[in-house]
Amino acid sequence: MQELLQQIVSGIATGGIFASLALALVLIYNAMGLVNFAQGEMAMLATFVALALIDHGMNYWIAFPVTLVIAFAGGIAIERVVIRPVERAPILTLVIITLGLATLINGLAGFIFGYVPRAFPSPFSVQTVNILGALASYQDLGVIAVSGVVLLAIYMLLQHTTVGLTMRAAAHHPEASRLLGVHVSWMLALGWGLASAVGSVSGIMVAPILLLQPNMMQTIIIYAFAAAVLGGIESPLGAVVGGVIVGVTVNLAGVYLPFVGGDLQLAVALAIIVGVLVLKPNGLFGRPSVRRV
Amino acid sequence: MALLELEEVRAGYGPTSVLHGVSLSVPEGQIVSLLGANGAGKTTTLRSITGGVHWTGDIRFAGRSLRRMHTEDVVRCGIAHVPEGRGILTELTVDENLKLGSHLRRDGAAVRKDYDRVFEYFPVLRERRGLSASTLSGGEQQMLALARAFLMKPRLMLLDEPSLGLAPLIVRAIFEIIRTINTEDRVAVLLVEQNARLALEMSSDAYVLEVGRVAVSGTSSELKGNDAVRRSYLGY
Repeated sequence: MQELLQQIVSGIATGGIFASLALALVLIYNAMGLVNFAQGEMAMLATFVALALIDHGMNYWIAFPVTLVIAFAGGIAIERVVIRPVERAPILTLVIITLGLATLINGLAGFIFGYVPRAFPSPFSVQTVNILGALASYQDLGVIAVSGVVLLAIYMLLQHTTVGLTMRAAAHHPEASRLLGVHVSWMLALGWGLASAVGSVSGIMVAPILLLQPNMMQTIIIYAFAAAVLGGIESPLGAVVGGVIVGVTVNLAGVYLPFVGGDLQLAVALAIIVGVLVLKPNGLFGRPSVRRV
Repeated sequence: MALLELEEVRAGYGPTSVLHGVSLSVPEGQIVSLLGANGAGKTTTLRSITGGVHWTGDIRFAGRSLRRMHTEDVVRCGIAHVPEGRGILTELTVDENLKLGSHLRRDGAAVRKDYDRVFEYFPVLRERRGLSASTLSGGEQQMLALARAFLMKPRLMLLDEPSLGLAPLIVRAIFEIIRTINTEDRVAVLLVEQNARLALEMSSDAYVLEVGRVAVSGTSSELKGNDAVRRSYLGY
């Protein structure tokens, strides 16, 4: 029982990491109906930026928000330079462009920083603390706290500020929003910036565990897809709940199902994706979409 | 000088041209009707004004040309456009829809007063504030669209068939409030309507479009009194 609780806490921490990246995917999906395959690579690059800042002597807790701001600006820049010119292109074109972007960023990171895995500092100790009989590591609790704060901040921004309201309006009804004076195109850019910033949180949180190298996010993005699909790809809340469920499931499966172990955890995520698409294509929180043809 | 002036406006969708040189004007604080059969170009005329369709010629609002301006910037000049289908954001709540109307305003005290007036005009919107706009009936959605346009504090409202699909009693109520907004706040209105009789009662001037051109224009009472015009263009 005690071990189960510990594994669940650990799974929630992993889930927080998945949730951040899943939320980034959902933000862009909502804004333009596009799955951004470059999201993981953007997060990886931001993590390299964070490491560079820390290596230059910046305090972790200063480097963290600074990285988010840089990632935010980078996301906006990518939208303006790469996506804007093809905004009205068919969705398949856009998907291919994000795939190209992923390859480009991956290669760029390899070229600049090399492929040797690097240790990334964690501000949380690996020591454990006893909570209600279960041992939890400060590392896990710290990741849960940071992810929780970031996700809550995004929620507050989207649901309780004017700019969040106009972002949601622009995402759902671009034409009607323009007639209300909303600069829809800038809202798209803002969505990319936010997604980039949130996604980079997952990179920074996972780097101490996986070691930082250009391919670090390539499995994490699969888990994030699983989380987003499970939650309903249009639902920010779904991304968070989906992330936690995927994190806990994968963790428990790895520990308690002998044939899964550490090697087949990714297969569990893929099984979740396939299972959700077959059984409940709109996910837990998604609305069924009706399209007139 | 007129608040809104269209001069030889031509517009269309891709290779199909819909307007073949439309000229009209809306004086400050007046209601002007834009009538005509389906496909005559009424909606396209409104869409040209707010930049929803490519046009040539000239459109001036308060003396300023709207050429090459994006929709959102035209709107920010003080034009509220309630489009065909009402433009309700059904994923959002009633309250959020209203907030989108007033989100650009910085005159907080006046905004609060305007909300009070909106809820006085349409008490049902106050009751439904927290609900999703998709739960509203057609008439309630039209009220929401009009309320939201009012909260934009425009100098000109473009209304695209506010009576469409609504019961006569509700149409009466809505037109009453359009008239109130017009007289109390001196908001000019360019009103597109199928229901010519109703529109002519409300407006001071009227234009009748026929296949993308102005076929007849004049004061509303002139058009109402002209039997030939009534029979051939207005169908009543």
